[in-house]
Amino acid sequence: MRAVRALIARLASAVQFGRRDLEIQDELASHLQLHIDDNIRAGMTPDEARRDAVITLGGLTQTQERCRQRVRPPFFDVIKQDVIYAVRTFRRNPGFAATAILTLALGIGSTSAIFSAINAVLLRPLPFADPARLVMVYGVARSARGVDMHDSVSYPNFADWRDRAATLESAGAYANRALTVTTAPGESRVLRGKQVTPSLFGVLGVRPALGRAFRPDEDQPALSRVVILSHGFWRQQLGGDPHVLGRTLQINDTPFVIVGVMAPDFHIDVAESEQLYAPLPVDATRNHEFLRVIARLQRDTSARQAQADLDEVCRHLARTYPRTNEGVAANVEPLVDAIAGPGRLALLILFAVVTVVLLIACTNVASLLLARGATRQREMAVRAALGAGRGRLVRQLLVESLLLAVAGGIAGLFVAEWLARGLVAIVSDVAPVPRLDTTRTDMWVVAFTTLVSMTTGIVFGVAPALVSASTDLNEALRDAGRSSTGARAPRLRRGLVVMETALALVLLAGAGVLTKTLLTMRATPPGFSTENLLVVDLYMPPTRLSALESRAPFFDAALARVRALPGVRGAAFVADLPLSGASDSESFHIPGRPDPAPNRWFNAGFNIASSHYFQTMGIRIREGRDFEDSDTTGAPGVIVINQTAAKRFWPDRSAIGQPIDLPITREKSVRLTVVGVADDVRHVGLAVPPRPEVFVNSLQSELSWASVVLAVRTADHPSGLVDAVKAAIHEADTGAVLVRINTLDQVIARSMAQPRLYSLLVGAFAVAALVLAAVGLYGLISFSVAQRAHEMGIRIALGASRSEIVRLVLGEGVALAVVGTAIGIAGGLAATRALVGLMAGIQPNDPLTFVVVALTLLACAVLASYVPARRAAAADPLAALRAE
Amino acid sequence: MADVWQGTLALMVLKTLEGLGPLHGYGIARRIEQTSSNHLSVNYGTIYPALLKLEQEGYIASEWGVSDNNRRAKFYRLTRAGRKHLEREARSWERTTEILARFLAPRETS
Repeated sequence: MRAVRALIARLASAVQFGRRDLEIQDELASHLQLHIDDNIRAGMTPDEARRDAVITLGGLTQTQERCRQRVRPPFFDVIKQDVIYAVRTFRRNPGFAATAILTLALGIGSTSAIFSAINAVLLRPLPFADPARLVMVYGVARSARGVDMHDSVSYPNFADWRDRAATLESAGAYANRALTVTTAPGESRVLRGKQVTPSLFGVLGVRPALGRAFRPDEDQPALSRVVILSHGFWRQQLGGDPHVLGRTLQINDTPFVIVGVMAPDFHIDVAESEQLYAPLPVDATRNHEFLRVIARLQRDTSARQAQADLDEVCRHLARTYPRTNEGVAANVEPLVDAIAGPGRLALLILFAVVTVVLLIACTNVASLLLARGATRQREMAVRAALGAGRGRLVRQLLVESLLLAVAGGIAGLFVAEWLARGLVAIVSDVAPVPRLDTTRTDMWVVAFTTLVSMTTGIVFGVAPALVSASTDLNEALRDAGRSSTGARAPRLRRGLVVMETALALVLLAGAGVLTKTLLTMRATPPGFSTENLLVVDLYMPPTRLSALESRAPFFDAALARVRALPGVRGAAFVADLPLSGASDSESFHIPGRPDPAPNRWFNAGFNIASSHYFQTMGIRIREGRDFEDSDTTGAPGVIVINQTAAKRFWPDRSAIGQPIDLPITREKSVRLTVVGVADDVRHVGLAVPPRPEVFVNSLQSELSWASVVLAVRTADHPSGLVDAVKAAIHEADTGAVLVRINTLDQVIARSMAQPRLYSLLVGAFAVAALVLAAVGLYGLISFSVAQRAHEMGIRIALGASRSEIVRLVLGEGVALAVVGTAIGIAGGLAATRALVGLMAGIQPNDPLTFVVVALTLLACAVLASYVPARRAAAADPLAALRAE
Repeated sequence: MADVWQGTLALMVLKTLEGLGPLHGYGIARRIEQTSSNHLSVNYGTIYPALLKLEQEGYIASEWGVSDNNRRAKFYRLTRAGRKHLEREARSWERTTEILARFLAPRETS
């Protein structure tokens, strides 16, 4: 204990070292004065008295120094000495220091940049009370398409989960709603809103800044005409009026009483912040899945325990309600991960990528240090001969590498700040990740960078230090001048080069797979004509245009007006435009044919289109016909299918005239007949092979859909027609809200933006890795050649041709690269599989990609070895012989 | 030997402070020299690192003051922890010397 106390006192005194030093000087001066006084009293002359006092003390400076050692932190002197020495050697060889620091700055900087993004998106606590205990509980739906882990939940299931799962302290649910808010007479706008269970605010641990939260009984339909405003809505739409409570707001043409205003930064959806909250009325339909569930775990309960608990509850519900709950399961995810969504995977992949870059950087610096150690053998030997212990030498070398790491870390912090800004700017443009915009170089990032710098300093420093410090004294002193032991680069360095080649190949493979996907997308024709097509996204307010009776006239009127515009070649409505990211699928029966499996029906992508859709899009009809104006609400139900669907479902005959039964409700289904087979179109993504697709006529579909796309084919570039089309839609029905208007080229560019971003990011880091690995190989071969200059001279003198020498040296480099590539391919096959979840259409182990990537790497290896090989071949045989 | 010297010196310092009360470094050094009847003649300077160590360990505390003949000097005094430590150390030292003395004493019987 006392020793600890003394150590703390010493460490503390390091801070006020100057003052302590002065105090010791003072004390010793006072000591001498007292002694001199006594001596003079004993009869000495002042001079004698002083001399005697100093001698008896044992020398003033010596005593002072001994005291200083007591005051300073332990090892302070030695380490200071090491640091000064290290700085001096770096200054003598600035090229080495600069290379090492730059390499490290790049490695550490990239890692810290991605960490700062991860910190903002995944690590920083959510702005709710005790956010670590909050989880999102999704529904799991198993269908023919696969498993959807992020499905919605029905109200009765939510209530049962909440009441039966003991691991949940509380739970709330919400549904996203687009609400039409009348802000002034005749003026309405569509806003994002949420219907929430009254419990939800309590689950999150938040209270309105003004007014009250919802009362528990406000989930009764009669009492639910109340609304809580977001701070943003309150400020922007109501001018921040403090007397707003009790006033009414027209929402979906119904008056709602304002009872509260939330705090400025509160949003449930961090990505797309909602404007209004209304109570969610109780809903008794067990198979109406429309809710998101947020729950608070009991104290000291993990998400995993809650998952097990809910699995049990779901099994119980499946037994109790087999008709609706067969196969319904729950999926518990920490709320912070749920909010980050797909951005989480992308960030983690990027973090793995930069970690590899950092590893390569470390390897390079370690290799540099080893090379430097070899040239310093003599220095080490001399120091050892003069009495420096092995530990002392290792410490000296470690101080050097730590110094490099610290310098690299400081430079890396600037690199990180710069990279993080660029990353946030690029990503926000393409694929907004919630909370990514809050990326800052904060305390945690600095702490992380410090930790990484120190760790790297030790990681890349220890092995070289041990190797370099254990030089054989005799050997080194005898022939440090020209080494025969260094005839081959040491095994450790060769191992390092193999490792970094392998790592670089893994990154290149990842970048290659992503780029391949992008190239595939570029090279794949979408299957329809993309020129001169205007795309209008419309929102159909549920109150006005939800029922078929009110929608059909709008479709007819809008199409008639738009088609009549000069310069318009055709126009059609469609629910999900190809490549827009929207897609849906349905299951159906084929009459007279058994289902593929019990409880598993036929399944296909489903879309809804108006008359002349295929003609407007430029999709060829292979057989049968397009939707015509005669396919109306009363006419027999017809569908058009794509070629893949025709081949899949009716492989042995023409699909025309074949029927399907599409279930509308549990009891009722409609019979639809195939009237046309259209060419395949890339709907989900350019790199995703076509799936079977079924088009239902927009005037015959009972399905309620809120957003719809109007495609307008024009004679010329469509930008001139934007205003005319807008006006035509407004004339057809003022209720339809125009969300946005683009050209199809813009839609396609948007669908490629994300793959382009990923291949750009991973590609940039992979190139950095490749350059680092090439530099590492170049350094190793150069070093080896320099060490063997003598040998090369002799070989030439004995008759070896220059090209033989080049081949010899090249062989050494390429052999290492080949081993590294082989290991890298194995690693790459495993690693690229992680990319599959990133976007649709990724093919992880594409042989061509791996061949191209491996050849690129080997070409770089040849280049990196060729330069030193040429140097070796230029060795002067005379100089070598003279030295002999 | 250096370790033994360090340990015993610390003990001597503590004992001196216990006997004489607050005292400056010069006084302590002087006193130790006198008590050992000049058998121990070491540099006075060695006392200062020992004092620093004892102070860091919290056994003694220091304060600037004025000496008998009006000189400024740093005075050390024993802390409570120091007093306890001295007691403990003195006892263990006595035991050690006793054992050693018995060991080294000329045998009387057999």
